[in-house]
Formats: sequence, C-alpha cells, structure tokens
Amino acid sequence: MSLPTRPLTVTINGKQHGPIDVPEGMMMIDVLHEMLDLTASRLGCGQGICHACVVIWDRDDQTSETVPTCITGADFFNGKRIRTVEGIAPRNDKGEVTTLSPVQQAFLDYFSFQCGYCTPGFVNAATVLIERLRRSPIARRDVETTVAAALERHICRCTGYVRYYEAVRDLILKTPGLTRTTV
Amino acid sequence: MSRPRHLWRWVIGLGVLAGIAIGVFISTNLLRGKTDGPVQVVNAPADVVARGKYLAEAADCAACHTAPGGAPFAGGLAMPSGFGTIYATNITPDPDYGIGRWSADDFWRALHDGVRRDGQQLYPAMPYTSYRGMTREDSDAIYAYVMRLRPAQVPNVVTNLRFPFNVRLGMRGWNLLFLTDSLPAVSVGSSPAWQRGRYLVDVLGHCGECHTPRGMLGQMELSRPMTGFALGRFEAPDITPAGLAARGWTAAALRDFLGSGLTEDGSAFSDMHPVVMLSTRRLTPNDLVKAVKYLMGDTPPPPVSLPPAPAIAATSPGRTSYVALCAGCHGLDGDGIPNTVVAMRGNTTLRLTDPRNLIVSMLDGMAAQNFPYLQSMQAMPGFADKLSDQQAADLANYLRISFGGQKGDVTPAAVRALR
Repeated sequence: MSLPTRPLTVTINGKQHGPIDVPEGMMMIDVLHEMLDLTASRLGCGQGICHACVVIWDRDDQTSETVPTCITGADFFNGKRIRTVEGIAPRNDKGEVTTLSPVQQAFLDYFSFQCGYCTPGFVNAATVLIERLRRSPIARRDVETTVAAALERHICRCTGYVRYYEAVRDLILKTPGLTRTTV
Repeated sequence: MSRPRHLWRWVIGLGVLAGIAIGVFISTNLLRGKTDGPVQVVNAPADVVARGKYLAEAADCAACHTAPGGAPFAGGLAMPSGFGTIYATNITPDPDYGIGRWSADDFWRALHDGVRRDGQQLYPAMPYTSYRGMTREDSDAIYAYVMRLRPAQVPNVVTNLRFPFNVRLGMRGWNLLFLTDSLPAVSVGSSPAWQRGRYLVDVLGHCGECHTPRGMLGQMELSRPMTGFALGRFEAPDITPAGLAARGWTAAALRDFLGSGLTEDGSAFSDMHPVVMLSTRRLTPNDLVKAVKYLMGDTPPPPVSLPPAPAIAATSPGRTSYVALCAGCHGLDGDGIPNTVVAMRGNTTLRLTDPRNLIVSMLDGMAAQNFPYLQSMQAMPGFADKLSDQQAADLANYLRISFGGQKGDVTPAAVRALR
C-alpha cells in the first residue's frame, strides 16, 4: 500500500523547492521538518491555535500574512512564496547569518522570551507587521493597539507577552517611516 | 370680505381645539403611563421565586437583557434590525434605571401586550408576540424572581429607529395587524407532553422569533412557522418536523443538542450558542423531552439517513481546498477531532438546503466556544482572504456533496453576495 501523493513546488526563503511528492493531507509543518530540513518552525498545539508554527506567505500583490502550518496542508502552498524564520536574518553568499533582523535584535534586547518555543511565530508575525507599516504607516497613538492586534493570537506559555509587545512597540516608534507624526 | 376671514378664524380655532382634545385623549387614554410611583417591595414565597428563576431561564430573558460583559439583566445589548438598532433594557429592580417601580400588573402588560409602564409601546424585539401566550401565574413568578435580582444602576441606551419606525404609537397598528393570542403549531400532536412542549417552545422559548420567517414589516409569517430565516448573518434553520427529519435529527440527538449544545452532527453556534448556554440546557430532563416532543410531533417523521457520498476525484478543486485548508482539523475523511473540532460527515449545517450558513462559516470562521460539562470547541479561522469566490464555491460544493447529501449548486455569485 502506498499513500496517494501530490507534487509540491514552493519557494521558501527565496529558494525554489520541488517538485517533490508529498503525501495527501500532510501538513506543511511536517514537510518543512521532515522533507526540507527546515526545522526552526515550531509545532505547538497542532490545531492552529498557538501560532508557534506560522510562516509568512508573500502574496503577489506585495502584501504578506502569516499562515499556521500545523493545520494548513502542503498543497495550499503549491506555487506560492513563503518565508520561514530561517529566512528572516540577512545571510552572506555562503548562507551564514551575518546579522539579526531588527525584530530579532529587539526581542533579544528586551529579553522577550524564555524557553523560546513560541519565538519563531512571534518573529514572523512582528516581521509582517513591520513590513506592513513600512507600506502604510500608522499614527503614533495607534501603535499599541496595532501591536496588540498583530500579536494577540500568539500564545506564550512563559508569559513573555509584555516584553514581546514592548519590543515591537519600541521598534516601531524608533524606526523612521513606520509612523506618521500627523494624526 | 370680512365674513370669510371670520370663518377662517373659526376654522383655525376649532382645529386647535380639536388638536388639544386629541392630545388630551391620547395622553389620558393611550399613554396612560406612569414614570414615578412607589418602589415595589416583593416578598414572594421562596418556591415561587425559584419557579420564576426556572421560567426566566426557559424564557431566556438573560440572552438579550445582558450586554456582553455587563451586569446580569442590566440591559444594553444592541439588536440590529432592518429599522435601526434596538437596545435591550435594564430589567433589574433598580428604581431609577430598572423596573423597581413596576408592579406585577405592569410586568404582565409588557409581556402580554407589549406596553411599557410609561405607556409607550415596546418593539417586538421584545418577544411579547410569543410571551402573549404566557399564563398570568408564570408572569407573576418571573416578576417575583426578577424583583429579587441585585439592582444595577445602569442607564438604558435610548433606542432611536429611523422615521417612521421611531413613532412608537405606530406599534399599536402593528399589534392590531400581527399580535395574536396563540401561534400556529409547528407539529401535529395532542398529548399532554406535546401541549407542555408547545408552551415551552412557542411561548417561553420564543423559538419562532428567530426560526419563523419575517415579512416586510418585521412580523412573523405565521403561515410558515419555524421554516427558517436569516435575521442576521447566519440563518436560523428550518426546525419543523420535516425540516429536522430531512437533516437526520432524531429526538435523542435534539435532546442532546438542546441540553448540551453538542451532538455528533455539530455544535451550537452563532445566536443559538447563548440560547443553549443560558436557557435550553437549564430545562429539566422532563421538560426537554416535552419540548422535543412538540418540535417533532407526537409521531415524528423518520429521520432521513445520509445518502452514500458519490465518488469525487481526489484532484477536484473542492477536494484540493479541503485537504489544504480544512483537513488539518476536520480530518481527511471529515471525522473531526472528538471534543475539539466538529465532524463534517453528516454535519447538520452541511445538510441544509440553503448553503448560507456553510458559506458564512467558511468566510468568517468561528470563535472558540465553551459548552456545559467543561467541554469546549476550538476557534476556526475564517478563510475569506484565502479563498476566491470560485474556490469557496467549489469547496462548499465538495463539502455539501461529500458530507451533507446535498446538491453542489453553490455558485461563486452566492459566495460573493455573502462577503
């Protein structure tokens, strides 16, 4: 007996993978872990609730959103471009990380996480938020509610929420171009 | 030349007098309301208060008279309608903001005639159209219970409908046209259990207020009781015996549903979720049996079993979307996850002829919900941004055909209309 499979071609962190045969119904998190050796995304609840497993889906219209990979089948990503947490920090030609992204650095500076299991999800969600604000800045008075709205679905069992939120809030406030001075 | 001018003066004078007379007549006869008066002290026996509590739960007063996060029975819930937003009022015994000065007679008039203590007409968002069938004894018991609640100093939000619906006096005409003493039976029966069930369902439960279609003027269309209607975004489905049987409901399953909100074939959601949580699950097992007896009739039609699903190509667009977006929780075979995610196979929403509720669920998703006995169902994300109209229609059709025994007749236009 063999499992029915479907071909998957997907661009991850700028690199095209596939076509590879993926068993029907396999969730994307398992494809990342088991077939593509991209093991940094975290499987938490397996039910799309905790958002530790989210990756960034880059749409053709230049917008992005996070998608939970534990409940989203690999087939959804066929032909799409995504970024995992491995693709957030800049790398050199040899593929070595040269520096951290501003979001990652802010999380370190603010001691945002303890065990770090939820961190890939928070990094991706905050990255999508920063990129969105670069395209359409918000009023400074709206920053806190915007951060809360962007991160509230992410669960952190070490309860590092405040430091995650403060890190992203302060990063937004100190980065030129993300906020409007006029109301 | 002077005579006609005199005549005009007389005509105008008489007109003014007539106006004053009509005004006096209206204010003394039609608006014979009271705003002040003594604070009522009600000392009903404990068993009456306990019965009143049970009846208030069966009549589900709390669902509307409590705002989200607000004090119990202190009102404030906004109910959008085609005529404007109506706000439920404070029915705690606070003398200034609630009904602390209302007598049992005033309370009865509100429930039976749709008239407030100050003489103003209520809008039928307050289901006096159903409560009219309540016995005076039960009204008094509910009154005795409500007057024992903790008074909440929460001012009412003023309901302001658009003209002409803001003229509350107009509801008198509406009542002449549409207010009836008894509602048509949804099923055939005569047993005492059926009779009691009818009272529980039609009068106290006021199920028809959502499940019976409404006409142009917001009245229940009593020629088609309980055949289903969409007051809001979701449709309250057909709960006639035939409608229930067509979706495979048995008496046992319906008792489970009303008692716990959960069955093998789905969970209570949208406006039905608070109905179960606040009202139907509080019914005694005996009353639950009788309510179901009335909904299904003394001789219930046999439930229609789910026809075997036709084969659908594994690579069909609908199946592809299902595997990509739904199967992670609902399972490749539509079996769901026990106590966590509802099954798709035989799901009562998929068995509805009208795909509305399915499409809205797919687009909007659903919040996590708690159920009795410490059960809960997890949140479902909405997929409005991940599915095109065509993809959503294909997915809806796949679900309906594979798991609901329905036709694959959902069009992209039907999806677009619900976005």
